[in-house]
Amino acid sequence: MGGLKEVLLEAMANETAFTIPIFGGIGISQSVVVSWLIMAVLMAVTLLLTHKLKVRDPGKVQIALECAVNFLNNFAHNNIGKHWRPFAPYLGTVALYIGFSNIIAIFGLTPPTKDVSVTAALAAMSLCVIYGAQFRYRGLVGGMKEFASPVWILAPINLMEVAVRPLALCMRLFGNILGAFIIMELIKYLMPVGVPAVASIYFDLFDGLIQMAVFVFLTAIFTGEGIKEEE
Amino acid sequence: MELGIIAAGLAVLTGIGAGIGIGIATGKASEAIARQPEASGKINSTLLIGCALAEGTAIFGFVTALIIIFMG
Repeated sequence: MGGLKEVLLEAMANETAFTIPIFGGIGISQSVVVSWLIMAVLMAVTLLLTHKLKVRDPGKVQIALECAVNFLNNFAHNNIGKHWRPFAPYLGTVALYIGFSNIIAIFGLTPPTKDVSVTAALAAMSLCVIYGAQFRYRGLVGGMKEFASPVWILAPINLMEVAVRPLALCMRLFGNILGAFIIMELIKYLMPVGVPAVASIYFDLFDGLIQMAVFVFLTAIFTGEGIKEEE
Repeated sequence: MELGIIAAGLAVLTGIGAGIGIGIATGKASEAIARQPEASGKINSTLLIGCALAEGTAIFGFVTALIIIFMG
């Protein structure tokens, strides 16, 4: 039982990878290092895939890319409405980052989204997008009025949602990834051969991708709710 | 510590609600798709959102249990 507890504690902890020796030492945690790695890989892949785009006679890679971008644009258009254009790149970037960080446990690295600070930052960004868009497209007064819709009596609940939405986004992503990570660690501890490979398909791949879709979907829907025109 | 373990177990019981809720939602969604297969795209996305929100309660319970065990 003691060994089990140690495994759990180890899974919970956010290790410090190294320390920058200025200002009395700034600790750089594991999640930041893995994030940098993901960013580097994404950047390299992006440059590699987009450096030879052609208008005439596009290659297979370009057609696949165009399909993906088209899918993203349609998704943003369906959920956000008329002013979808500035949000599509943001949603796609967040989707790529969260997707890669969730499934990186397959390669034996710790997922950055296991760290509550990372998910809190992502949720804070979503908060800025949701309410920034509301005030940007409705103006100061219109944005305020949006809090009192559909009837003024719901205003306290709408104001409460300002805090509840990011908290729920943050905790949902963090809890799911941490839960999956802990379960995977337990399985690895109890049965090191064979079973982890099968369980990894569900807990790392499927759960991670579902959570990525949920995070992006909820951000898009909340944004759309604030700025959608009545048709 | 024993009391803490019991409290954590109680916190994780929130999973019951999420399980029942997601089960009902999925059942209704499959009924809806059977009735109107052409609307399956919209039904799927609504189901995904509903499941995510319902699952949130279970996740909150789980996070609370972890906090009780490791910090309480």
